[in-house]
Amino acid sequence: MSNQDPDPQPDDATLAERVVHAAPGIDREAEAELCRRFAPRVRLYGLRHMRNDAAANDLMQQVMLMVIERLRAGALRESGKLVSFVFGICRMVVLDLQRGHARRERLLETYGDILAPPETPLPNLDEKRLAHCLEGLPERERTVLLLTFYDDTPADALAHDLNLSPANVRVIRHRGLERLRKCVTGETR
Amino acid sequence: MNNTASCPSPLDWDTLLAYWLCELDIDSEAAVEEHYLGCTQCSQRLEWLAALAQGVRNLIKISGVNMVITDAFVRNLKARGLHVREYRVPLNGSVNCTVTPEDDFVLGRLEAPLDEVKRLDLVYLDDEGKDQMRLDDIPFNADSGSVVFSTRIEALRALPACTLRVRLLAVDNHDSRILGDYAFNHTPHNPQ
Repeated sequence: MSNQDPDPQPDDATLAERVVHAAPGIDREAEAELCRRFAPRVRLYGLRHMRNDAAANDLMQQVMLMVIERLRAGALRESGKLVSFVFGICRMVVLDLQRGHARRERLLETYGDILAPPETPLPNLDEKRLAHCLEGLPERERTVLLLTFYDDTPADALAHDLNLSPANVRVIRHRGLERLRKCVTGETR
Repeated sequence: MNNTASCPSPLDWDTLLAYWLCELDIDSEAAVEEHYLGCTQCSQRLEWLAALAQGVRNLIKISGVNMVITDAFVRNLKARGLHVREYRVPLNGSVNCTVTPEDDFVLGRLEAPLDEVKRLDLVYLDDEGKDQMRLDDIPFNADSGSVVFSTRIEALRALPACTLRVRLLAVDNHDSRILGDYAFNHTPHNPQ
């Protein structure tokens, strides 16, 4: 057949190439799919670095807008390096946001109406099940996990508070997380 | 990396958690970030950890949990603007207590000689002194000379006037000895 169907699941690099090659036109489908794939990951990066939902959403939006802007401008020379390209922009935008840079407004004026990525909240866990699973953990594991996650407390700090060694906290944390994960997800092995 | 492919070398849970808690060095952190930004499977795992952290915060904030806590945790609760009611109970002592609508957390601080204690159990007793609920091998800091624990605030609000009894046991191999008995004389909140 001479008319092949387009790849139903093109990889990230292929999508990036489509955006680059469409310029000065716009491949909206490829741009939207790239945003759909990368936006949740970029938001996670933002949550990790900013520890704030609103700031993570700002970062996600700004990064995706810059990625698309730069792809359209042909700034990505090797499509296989798309992830490094996105990573570099993430790092730059975190620094910009931390410096209070106001580039976002200009980008949103230019691209916001067509490319604003969707809100991507974290998946909701069943809190009743989570409570039940936490109740079932050995006390030491439960305490370490609750104290770890409530304030994102690293092992060194928790070890100091509980008079344990950091290695001991990591072992307790590892066991507790395994048990909790299997219980919450219903995984049996 | 293909969006739909499973990851050939997935990041393990310990590495992801260490990353989330800022425990990795700069190079390891960058390697993790460059990996999950291009990986559906690992980014979903990290997303699950972030959701777990959020779920734990919600659970503690909304209904509270029965848990042993640290002084640092108490300071963080107060720093977040939460209303923390704390009752300090001397060794083998008692305290009159209640819970008000404004309270976010109610804590009991049990003073006890913890030097040379290897393992510590906290036991809730009924009126006849029998075990009602037991928290085995609780973490503690012997230097603090006390054990701080929180009780689910919803459960406390539902209580009639009563006395809650708690016991600390030092456990060594198969032997245990009573470190202290504590009584909380609870009265429901009466705004009048």
